[in-house]
Amino acid sequence: MQVTIRLHGVFRIDRFKEKTIDCPSGTQIRDIVEQLNLPANLLGTILLNDSFRDGDALLKDGDTLVLLPILEGG
Amino acid sequence: MNIQTTDHVTHPTGVLYTRCTVDLKTGKYDIVDIPCRNLEDVLGGFGRSFQLLANRSVDKAYSLENPLIVNTGLLTGSCTMTGLRTYFSGYSPIKASLQGLPAAIWSTGSGKFGAKFKWTGLDELVIENRSLKPVYLVIKHTADGPLPVLKPADHLQGLTTHEKIMRLQTDYENAHFAVIGPGGENWQNVFMGSVALSTENQLRSGEDKCRFAGRGGMGSLMGYKNLLALVAQSPDQVKPLSDAVKRVNINVVKGGGSARLQPIKRGGGGGTWAAYDVLQPFHAVPINNFRPAGNRLPEKLFRENVEKEYYVESAACFRCGITCHNNILAKNSDGSRGEFLAKFDYEPLNLLGTNLGIHDAGQVASLIRLVDNYGLDAISTGVTVAYVLSYNERHSQQPILNGASFGDFSKIRDLIVATGNGQLPEIGHGCMRLSQQTGETSYAYHVKGLELAAYLPETNPGYAWAIAGGHMSMGTYGMLIREGKSDVDSWVTAITKDKLQIVGFDMIGLCKFFDIVNGIGTEMVVDSLKSQFGLSLTEQAIKDAVYRAFLRGLLLERKQGYGKGEYVLPPEVTELPNQALKTPNITSHQFFKELSNRVWQIFDRDMQALAKAEMI
Repeated sequence: MQVTIRLHGVFRIDRFKEKTIDCPSGTQIRDIVEQLNLPANLLGTILLNDSFRDGDALLKDGDTLVLLPILEGG
Repeated sequence: MNIQTTDHVTHPTGVLYTRCTVDLKTGKYDIVDIPCRNLEDVLGGFGRSFQLLANRSVDKAYSLENPLIVNTGLLTGSCTMTGLRTYFSGYSPIKASLQGLPAAIWSTGSGKFGAKFKWTGLDELVIENRSLKPVYLVIKHTADGPLPVLKPADHLQGLTTHEKIMRLQTDYENAHFAVIGPGGENWQNVFMGSVALSTENQLRSGEDKCRFAGRGGMGSLMGYKNLLALVAQSPDQVKPLSDAVKRVNINVVKGGGSARLQPIKRGGGGGTWAAYDVLQPFHAVPINNFRPAGNRLPEKLFRENVEKEYYVESAACFRCGITCHNNILAKNSDGSRGEFLAKFDYEPLNLLGTNLGIHDAGQVASLIRLVDNYGLDAISTGVTVAYVLSYNERHSQQPILNGASFGDFSKIRDLIVATGNGQLPEIGHGCMRLSQQTGETSYAYHVKGLELAAYLPETNPGYAWAIAGGHMSMGTYGMLIREGKSDVDSWVTAITKDKLQIVGFDMIGLCKFFDIVNGIGTEMVVDSLKSQFGLSLTEQAIKDAVYRAFLRGLLLERKQGYGKGEYVLPPEVTELPNQALKTPNITSHQFFKELSNRVWQIFDRDMQALAKAEMI
């Protein structure tokens, strides 16, 4: 299946802004996070098709996954 | 602090703090050790100062009855990382109820002044009355204890914050400084004056790198008192690190809490500036007076775009390993470091940039520096100027002031200069009063008279219960975008229990970045207190103390005339929902009404119990 991934902020450094990838069925969001080697302590908001989700959510063909760094105030 | 007990939860009087009271009218002072009444007194900051303010009857901020309280927290000047906070408390010139009574407020900043102040031997300074002539106060550490001396300050008048600090440095070795700028000196027409705190980096480099206690106009109160500066002169008293504190500090630097704020080159998120990247996908970066239109204009101030033209340098406060500062410098033709321009934190960057329709990094940097030099609160200044621009957009045929419009850098700059020089009370008195004058209050972005920080109210209904301005006294600003919470239950719990704990940092002397998510009721703080002071506390005891301090803040608001109808968001948010936002609507009339009812059920019950227990 194919999933489109959008990265924001520091996650784009040495990676990409948007990319469509192939992945096997049964893939969870956390698998993508690991595959991209995103630092766990910086991972904040996860949006799957514009809905807030956590790392356990299963991906399906045609999904759009947005990964954002954590928001801290100041 | 003189600590004679290990059990200051049940025996707080076994801890004494040293307070100096200076009467500016007579020049007399006295220094006494005062037993703590409760754990809030022990922790310090607003937890202590608000108890003093509650016993005062003050109906005008600029009155002799209004004290300025300068104090520290228990961990200010300690070995615990980020322990640099100084607190300024008093009745606010700018935050006021609709009855016209001033609200109690505190404001805080880092820099090294707080540690030096603590090292003089004082925990608290209460400044009474006002001087007829400009003065500054030197507090000197001596073998016999702290020695306060008032001195004429004519030579400091009119200088910018940075100039005052550099001038004082020539006269006082081994000292740090808290000063006001021309904004505070022009207190009659400027209610949003800040206090600038000197930093090691500033004194060493000569570069303009103060830290600021900006909110609530404590610099203006200082100006009213004709007190232009404080000098804390003392040798450094940094103690050796215990193993326990070493572990805490390592956890602060390497733990999850500060990860977002560390420099990118160290694997961090790059400071608060990075909030732009997270908010923009939701179209939630404030633009043109908090009305994002779903466009890409905020991206012009993304770090990746600014770095193309400017040099960005990470820096930290004294002995802090978080390194959250992003200093912007000119880039030389060879790509090397040029002249220091400004520090980019999220709030001033947005509120003096994108939210004014200014998207050029160099222009924003110059406005940030201007506001800092004048000693104006960047948040209140930016939001009030944004109100003017918004008014002018709606009344293009009859604009107010100089007719400035969004994006007109030159005219916006003129507005800020005139405000700092005390020539524009329309802006200097804040957006609540200006909107009352124009009769158009719906798009004045304040809550309870204090301008909002750079998080859209549509994403943070918790603003309504913040007691010292914006997001830093009610940590709900990330509930929607960071945590995806859009149900009333979660928001009630956050406002009444978890997220108000952020104000604990405004008691104990630590910066919020120590552990912004979890507050101070944590093992790290318990370990720090045990190791450095021998105090045995539980995490829950600390949380309970923070909650009581917060409730006292609400009780003080009630005392100063606030009604529940004032605990609301700017009306435009509900009346004209912004369709560009890509977030669930949690500020509808229905949602907010239910939230408000349930929050007040809890706060009313607990305020009543606290008032009864203390016979307030």
